[in-house]
Amino acid sequence: MTDNNVPVIDVRHADKHFGKLHVLRDISLSVNRGEVVVIIGPSGSGKSTLCRTINRLETIDSGEILIEGVPIPPEGKKLAAMRSRIGMVFQSFNLFAHMTILENVVAAPRSVLRRNKKEAREEALRLLERVGVADQKDKVPAQLSGGQQQRAAIARALAMRPKAMLFDEPTSALDPEMIGEVLTVMTELAADGMTMLIVTHEMNFARRVADRIVFMDEGAIVEENTPKEFFECPRSRRARDFLSSLRDR
Amino acid sequence: MKKPSIRDILYEPPGPKAQRRIRITTAAALLLIAGLVFLIIRQFAETGQLNARYWAFFGRGTTWRFLGEGLLSTVEAAVTGALISFAAGFVLMRGRLNRFPVIRFLSAAVIEFTRGVPTLLFIYFFFLAVPRMGWALSSFWKITLPCAVSACGVVAEALRSGVNAVPKGQREAALSLGFGEIRLFYKIIFPQAFRFVIPSLIAELVIVLKDTTFASVVSYADLMQNAKVLISNYDAMLSVYLVVAAIYILINCLLNKLSEYLARRMDRAAERGAA
Ligand SMILES: Nc1ncnc2c1ncn2[C@@H]1O[C@H](COP(=O)(O)OP(=O)(O)OP(=O)(O)O)[C@@H](O)[C@H]1O
Ligand SMILES: [Mg+2]
Repeated sequence: MTDNNVPVIDVRHADKHFGKLHVLRDISLSVNRGEVVVIIGPSGSGKSTLCRTINRLETIDSGEILIEGVPIPPEGKKLAAMRSRIGMVFQSFNLFAHMTILENVVAAPRSVLRRNKKEAREEALRLLERVGVADQKDKVPAQLSGGQQQRAAIARALAMRPKAMLFDEPTSALDPEMIGEVLTVMTELAADGMTMLIVTHEMNFARRVADRIVFMDEGAIVEENTPKEFFECPRSRRARDFLSSLRDR
Repeated sequence: MKKPSIRDILYEPPGPKAQRRIRITTAAALLLIAGLVFLIIRQFAETGQLNARYWAFFGRGTTWRFLGEGLLSTVEAAVTGALISFAAGFVLMRGRLNRFPVIRFLSAAVIEFTRGVPTLLFIYFFFLAVPRMGWALSSFWKITLPCAVSACGVVAEALRSGVNAVPKGQREAALSLGFGEIRLFYKIIFPQAFRFVIPSLIAELVIVLKDTTFASVVSYADLMQNAKVLISNYDAMLSVYLVVAAIYILINCLLNKLSEYLARRMDRAAERGAA
């Protein structure tokens, strides 16, 4: 299953409605091993929804989503196993409120993967070290700053040794002075070769780390482009309008 | 990072004028209460209730031992009843949140039924109907079981509201890490929900405690039943009822303190290592 030619994430002709609202329109998108794909687009364009369907936190009406060439199982243990191989980082961190930071990182490897206690702990400490919050390990999430919480959440996802990581606006809930520290961690992750799908409004970051930019509007992918071309001379009119609206602000 | 108390949230700190107003109303209220107490005592004195013969037997050890035995029985029945209702309430809550509609429906029906029927009817059921169906129950179970049945629906709903109060993101994060539904519930959701519902559970324990005063119906020798024996022995109704009421109030105050203590301990646990 380490065939390098099979995309890690492969979305094919996905459609989704929320009632009458057509949130995903015939979305096809693949992310290859080691690739960093950044999704940008105006609010309400369906970026979060797309991100969530890849973990089956939302279902799709039609089309299919394959992880390493295998369709996402619809339910049960197989679905859980598939989810455990895709890390997800949320806008609101969602660290487990009743656990310490260390317990947060150890919980899933212990409960889901049944890893040995000592090893899980050691790996968790290494990961917390890597994201720079090891000194906070015995605190509960509410005692940490937003930036520290988000970095801990990244460590928690990494503890499952995921094949790919999904980030849904990981810095949108942060105070400006904390955005940098989270983006730094993500940049390092990208440099280490992690496969990443990132929804973000941080354009400079997108330009720096993305291998590919995907621009969405009204539930459809309007443009897929290299960062350089996308930011310098976007092909689509809507992307041009979107970018200039950002510059005006 | 101390959490503000409800009072801090609801009111600003009082200024000098407000402080004077608070002092005046406090004084007025104390005067009013003192007046009422005086009136009651005078009424007692005039009707002879302060007569030594109504109170003298409280000076005897046997009286207190007798009341103490009753109290112990009350506590035994209340704690057993509450524990059973917590367990049954938990099962009903799980049923109410089950993914099979039939189980959800049945659980909801049981919850509504137990919440709607007065405790006394359950007591009569266990006292009169159950023995006729061939189950011989001791008087302890005849009071404990109906109190538990009567409380379990309320407990189930309290637990359910606790579960619903856990933010959705907690569930999504656990799902994305590969937790299955069962582990997700027991490791992530319920430990958080439980903290929210401790006060409701203790409030329910108080209700069960009060319900056990029906024990005399099934002639279980609880505090109330023993009080009645004292009343007929000494022909002293008012004094005994006053003392027994004071005991019940005392226990319930203790339970409320316990509830506050637990809530504070949870908060502190949540702030572990803050210093
Ligand atoms: N659970 C839901 N039920 C109904 N409508 C929803 C639901 N979730 C999202 N929507 C709607 O679907 C559309 C797309 O939402 P989505 O969150 O995917 O957008 P987004 O691109 O992530 O926007 P933002 O940049 O604001 O996060 C929006 O119009 C939103 O209101
Ligand atoms: Mg979004």
